[in-house]
Amino acid sequence: MDSVVANILNGLSWGMLLFLISVGLTVVFGVMGILNFAHGSLFMLGSYFALQFVRWVGSFWIGLLLGPVIVAFLAILIERFLIRPIYSRDTSLQLLLTFGVMLILDDGVRLIWGSAYHVVNPPQILSGTIAIFSGTYPVYRVFLVIAGPLVGVALWAFFTMTRWGKTLRAAAMDRRMAEIIGVRAPLLFTLVFAFGAWIAALGGVLAAPHQSVGPAMGEHIIIESFIVVVIGGMGSFPGAFVGALILGLMNAFGATMLPDLQMAMPYILLAIILLARPRGILGEEL
Amino acid sequence: MKKRFILGISVCFLALILSGTVYAAAKPVKLGFVYIMSGPFATYGQFAKQGAELAIDEVNKAGGINGRTVEGFFEDSTGKSDVGIRVIRKLVYEAGVDAVIGLDSSGVASAVTPVMKELKTPLIITHAATPDVTGTNCNRYTFRISLNLNQNIAMAAKIASEGKAKTWTTVGPDYSFGHQSWEYFQKYLSQRKSGLVFLPDDKAAFPPLSTTDFSPYITKVISSNADGVLISLWGGNLIDFVRQGMDMGFFDGKREVLMTLGAATEVLYALKDKMPEGIWVGTRYWFNANNTPVNKAFVNAYHKRFGVYPSYNAHGAYAAVKMYAAAAAKAKSVDKEKIVGTLEGFALELPVGKVVIRPEDHQAVTDGVWGKTAADPKVPIRVLKPLRKFAGKDITPSVAETGCKMK
Repeated sequence: MDSVVANILNGLSWGMLLFLISVGLTVVFGVMGILNFAHGSLFMLGSYFALQFVRWVGSFWIGLLLGPVIVAFLAILIERFLIRPIYSRDTSLQLLLTFGVMLILDDGVRLIWGSAYHVVNPPQILSGTIAIFSGTYPVYRVFLVIAGPLVGVALWAFFTMTRWGKTLRAAAMDRRMAEIIGVRAPLLFTLVFAFGAWIAALGGVLAAPHQSVGPAMGEHIIIESFIVVVIGGMGSFPGAFVGALILGLMNAFGATMLPDLQMAMPYILLAIILLARPRGILGEEL
Repeated sequence: MKKRFILGISVCFLALILSGTVYAAAKPVKLGFVYIMSGPFATYGQFAKQGAELAIDEVNKAGGINGRTVEGFFEDSTGKSDVGIRVIRKLVYEAGVDAVIGLDSSGVASAVTPVMKELKTPLIITHAATPDVTGTNCNRYTFRISLNLNQNIAMAAKIASEGKAKTWTTVGPDYSFGHQSWEYFQKYLSQRKSGLVFLPDDKAAFPPLSTTDFSPYITKVISSNADGVLISLWGGNLIDFVRQGMDMGFFDGKREVLMTLGAATEVLYALKDKMPEGIWVGTRYWFNANNTPVNKAFVNAYHKRFGVYPSYNAHGAYAAVKMYAAAAAKAKSVDKEKIVGTLEGFALELPVGKVVIRPEDHQAVTDGVWGKTAADPKVPIRVLKPLRKFAGKDITPSVAETGCKMK
């Protein structure tokens, strides 16, 4: 296959995975104003549940269905008992708290599953390769390229067309006003946080057949997710889509064309965006 | 009933007092271990810890070191230089260890080596492979019991010179280890064979350690049309690369592939049958490369206790404890200067084979192994078949070449 086509596919598949991981981060920030450092760990938990369900029932799909739900329940507990008491406090406390949650989750995973690397196989129907242009490409990556936009469109429809989505956006815009007209903001916040965790874990399950599952995979991805979110615009989920695509494609083409700069490029882009357009490409005016 | 209870308590007390006196009579010999215990490479530290614990238990069962029990202190280097230096200082000043064993990352090893001069404490490196610590950066207190990068790459070059590949490229981690592996591979292979092409650095692939998506690098190597690839990735990076490479047709038999650290059991246990067959892989130690009783006893004891075959990192920690104990027995002391003096030129039969510490640069000279991955129904992981052994003296560069000048 032509290496340009291969690189586009490489960039798209990685970008879509990045999108799934970072979209929850940006939604939670947009609505709740919380920068959740533990987001990467929730993603990691998704991968470990995928591993565990494959071990228990031998099915990747059951892990995809149930894993994110379990993580969402855990997130409800975290929001209700840890984060809620400090909403009114300084933002730095939230950062410290979510950072602490991240450390606890990472070590918890090590206690339960050990520190070894694990491998999760893609489901039968998505393994192997298919012919694209003059070459072949892994089915699982094509699946990621398709799944990303589908999730994106579903989210967009949810936010713009459903009553729930509109309520969410209203609460994000002005929490006090929303409360005055009868929106139960605390419940809404819990649900948003759970939703953010659900989609992070969904990304985790989908990442499991793509990379090795091990402790600290969350610490790792959180940095890239932050870059995606800042580039795209804090709190904007179409922004997360654009940011993830840019980062994915930059990663793919950078490795071939600018190998010396490849490691620095996301940060250079980050710096340029912060200087020229601090609210991000698709961010709302601050 | 009550009497019995009181009797029981008194016996316990007595036992406690007795063991206390024994303890007080002979202060334990303290060994500090520094490995990566957290983060993506934590499984290497885990194996090393197991190897160290097995060795310590064996030494203690056989009467300890000069009649004193051995106690291990484990610290996490996290793979970072500053943390490595800090925990070694802590081990020496707070725990008061008699020697330090370990180090996975070459970066940490390079940073720590000069500090050992200041701490005046022997350090036995068991994994980190950078040539510098027993080369330009060598010093009196630093020893290495494992094969280093040059020795490993010398074997890779020998194997590569026998193959058909004409154009070589590399995939290595983007730090000194990956770049040095490629540099020495070009040097050693071009000494053995002429008319080969080595792709320049910007055409080769050096993914950062944090990479999880290797597809751009795989595409790059496939489209470079090189027919030989040296892979110096290790740990989680290597696992991700192999799986994604399998999917993307990298292992389609069109290119010769050498993985310098592919025979790490940490990696093989994770990949199991996902590790392609027929790939040349290197290691520092392979559990069934050696038929000596010492090796069989080690492999059996390890497998019985931990349920897996020992990795090279498990062996490194185990071997270092055994060598320290033997050196202390010979010196009849654990005095740091006397240990250093005894370790210079020290020779010992270890599971990997006979290991000699070269007095001039403190590098272990020992036989090395490479092999081709093959399936074996009796073993859950890929085994090496055929197995190639190389004599230590043939793969070790001369002292002059290492650039080591001990003062």
